[in-house]
Amino acid sequence: MILPFVSLAFASRAFASRVAMALLLCVVMAVPVRAEPPERVISVGGAITEIVYALGADDRLVAVDSTSTHPAAADDLPDVGYMRRLAAEPILALDPDLMILVEDAGPPEIIAQLRETGIPLVTVPDEPSIAGVRDKVLTVAEALGEAEAGAALAAEIEAAHAAVAERLAGVTERPRVLFLMSIGAGAPLAAGAETSAAAVIALAGGRTALEDITGFKPLSPEAAAAAAPDVIVVPERTLEAMGGAEAILSRAELADSPAARDGRLVAMDALLLLGFGPRTPEAVARLAESLHPDAMAVR
Amino acid sequence: MSGEVSATATVPAPGQDPAAWMRRRGGRTRLALVAMAGVLIVSVLLSVGIGAVAISPAEALSILAGQAGLAPWTDHTRVQETVLLSLRLPRAVLGILVGGALAVAGAAMQGLFRNPLADPGLVGVSTGAALAAAVVIVLGGALPLGLAGVGRDLLLPLAAFGGGLATTWLVYRIASHDGRTEVATLLLAGIALNAVAGAAIGVLVFVSDDQALRDLNFWLLGSLGGVTWDRLLIAAPLMLAPALAALVLARPLNALLFGETEAVHMGFDVERTKRLVVVLAALAVGSSVALTGVIGFVGLVVPHLVRMTIGPDHRVLLPASLMLGASLLLLADLLARTLVLPAELPIGILTSVIGGPFFLWLLLRRRGLGLW
Amino acid sequence: MLAGSDLTVIRRGRRLLDGVTLAVPGASLTALIGPNGAGKSTLLHVLSGALTPEAGQVRFLDRPLGDWPRADLARRRAVLPQSSTLSFPFRALDVVLMGRSAHAGRSSHDHDLAVAVAALTAVDALALAERIYPTLSGGERQRVQLARVMAQIWTDDDGEGQGRTPRVLLLDEPTNNLDLLHQHQLMRFARHLADQGVGVLAVLHDPNLAALYADRMVVLADGRMVADGPVDAVMTEAVIARVFGLPVTVQRHPTRGTPHLVPV
Repeated sequence: MILPFVSLAFASRAFASRVAMALLLCVVMAVPVRAEPPERVISVGGAITEIVYALGADDRLVAVDSTSTHPAAADDLPDVGYMRRLAAEPILALDPDLMILVEDAGPPEIIAQLRETGIPLVTVPDEPSIAGVRDKVLTVAEALGEAEAGAALAAEIEAAHAAVAERLAGVTERPRVLFLMSIGAGAPLAAGAETSAAAVIALAGGRTALEDITGFKPLSPEAAAAAAPDVIVVPERTLEAMGGAEAILSRAELADSPAARDGRLVAMDALLLLGFGPRTPEAVARLAESLHPDAMAVR
Repeated sequence: MSGEVSATATVPAPGQDPAAWMRRRGGRTRLALVAMAGVLIVSVLLSVGIGAVAISPAEALSILAGQAGLAPWTDHTRVQETVLLSLRLPRAVLGILVGGALAVAGAAMQGLFRNPLADPGLVGVSTGAALAAAVVIVLGGALPLGLAGVGRDLLLPLAAFGGGLATTWLVYRIASHDGRTEVATLLLAGIALNAVAGAAIGVLVFVSDDQALRDLNFWLLGSLGGVTWDRLLIAAPLMLAPALAALVLARPLNALLFGETEAVHMGFDVERTKRLVVVLAALAVGSSVALTGVIGFVGLVVPHLVRMTIGPDHRVLLPASLMLGASLLLLADLLARTLVLPAELPIGILTSVIGGPFFLWLLLRRRGLGLW
Repeated sequence: MLAGSDLTVIRRGRRLLDGVTLAVPGASLTALIGPNGAGKSTLLHVLSGALTPEAGQVRFLDRPLGDWPRADLARRRAVLPQSSTLSFPFRALDVVLMGRSAHAGRSSHDHDLAVAVAALTAVDALALAERIYPTLSGGERQRVQLARVMAQIWTDDDGEGQGRTPRVLLLDEPTNNLDLLHQHQLMRFARHLADQGVGVLAVLHDPNLAALYADRMVVLADGRMVADGPVDAVMTEAVIARVFGLPVTVQRHPTRGTPHLVPV
């Protein structure tokens, strides 16, 4: 019996949380050994779609989810809705022969229904690290029957990241970064520890200014003032929603911070920054240029 | 009246015959009930027949025949079979149950509150049920051992039922005084309870972990999707039984409309009726909320449509609401799952889009009629 | 027929009724008068069974009210409320038919309908049968309600709804919303029922109206019974002045000879 390659790829890596093990089982069971590569693919998750495009397999995509905003061509594909509110029948109607889902996709009842219909489902773990990006690429590539291209892409990403990491190697000072994200009205959400934002900030040689909280939590003005961030990072959408850089830096709780004093505010596309897809080295590099302009400057 | 009185009495209009008028109206009522049953049947057929995957009536019949042990005669695909049997049929059954239960609960609560504006959502019952269910979703892992054995599929409806019961009782106690119910107090109590429960749900969202948050989010927006026959089997009796039981409360509910004291004088056990309505409405709304999330306005719009067409007599209002509520929810769900293909709209949004303006129109119309 | 003994009702430390003993005999019209807050409506609700007294007992045909099956009691005892709010568009005929609820299972729909029509005819409101109740005027509603309570205690012993079954009708300020003509029509009708054998108790504000139709008058003040007896014996200058705090002279009705109060 031929074990699917994907399981070997996983087993060979040290990365193996319990969640990943469970998902691994799903992957092993859900992907039948097939000779023909899948031709009608639905991709759910912004990073997954980016990987499909990066592998050059976008001509096989029949639909994506609403978080798949990059590249722009993905917008022209049918949209199966928000990745956590999928619907079963419209997906079946698209007659996919492969569905690649980021692990957050849901709701679980709908995923279970889809699995029962026998559509090959590949659930991709979402670990906010370069190793996680590598796993994503390899998993997606394997599912598409593009293992070689996947290995090449993964190597390319790791090389790109290594270049950034090398430049940051000598950096000892870790600027305190406050990541803000506004969702609707009310206080913006701030990123604490164990978030994708904290992970990308760490890769870029910074640390999250709110280390005491975990997850994304509504920003407490006093906690923000006490955090005294050196740099503020926001998604581009949030920059618009909160009235521009001036408006954010002049908020009472941030006005006295080093970030406001030095005017250090970075706005980046949310998917680029937090997606942990193939563009992550680019995101890390751009963030690092703001955090450590000297180290990143061309030597 | 005695002879001397009759001398001053106004004479009944010539040719007036209340018996004939009642017969004509009875005929119209039966016709309307038959029409509503027809609408329900059509709604079921549309709901089962229309969707993203094309299934012709012949194929549908053939698939069903296959299930009944007969030889299928069409060349349908396995996907079509799965869609029909595992997606559309349970979903249609759920739509009938939830729509019927919400509409009957709405009609019965309007009778209990003696006010046509009472709605499980408006007076805070749905939110109370939602809060209790949210507690189960978020804190479910930390439950005492005794409850851990109870499956979540059963625990969720029970919790929602408890939440609905507590809120209904609270609203009734607050708004009811001396056998009368103040509409302003009723709606204000509903607003306050909605706010309190909403805030409590907010706290739960704040403390919940990512997985719980996702479950919560899906479920607060309301959807008929994701239902399976297994879950239906558990929840169906919890919705169907109270909806059917409410039908026997028609006469006391009619009497209750004049006030509690008057109903007592007419020979009804008012306290028992009140308790029953509260329990049945909470059970129906609670188990609906547990399965589909919060779906607003069905309990308000449907009984009103029935009153406008057939009249307010609970003996026809309740069964008619059952049928019309089921139809309305099926049709709303049909729109929800076909309007933005290949995605789906949350059905709660659709019913609110229809129900909100309807409610406003109702307020204006009632003011126009001078009923307030 | 309907007898309350030693009835006491306490609410928030206040004695709304204080040891009242009152019997409503058959074939009579008893008027219950007294100033605002005297406890008239409270007494009526205790007698009807809607309110349970803190002390004392109400018996109907020598049987405590609580022992009566609800429907049995409802077929023999009806109450006309002060006013009936109804926010739902029932027709007047539907409202009257609701009075037949206690007869469910014992009376056919056709019979119920015949009774409702007869009751509406009796109160001169047949023309209102198909009208929507909430759109009726106060007086029209009161007549429809009267037809409803009539339909509730309608008996067929003599084929005209006025049989020998002992029955009691309690009227709670029935003339409140009525114009002059309909006030008198209603009271004449109540008198007519009493003459047919029904025990009628009416809470009334206007002693002069009461004097015209009642054969007995009960005066209540501060939850206590102040006077009870034939109208002539009760409606005296002394009683009225003491209870209402209004000096009056008692004259005689020019044609009927009943007492008639005129403020001094």
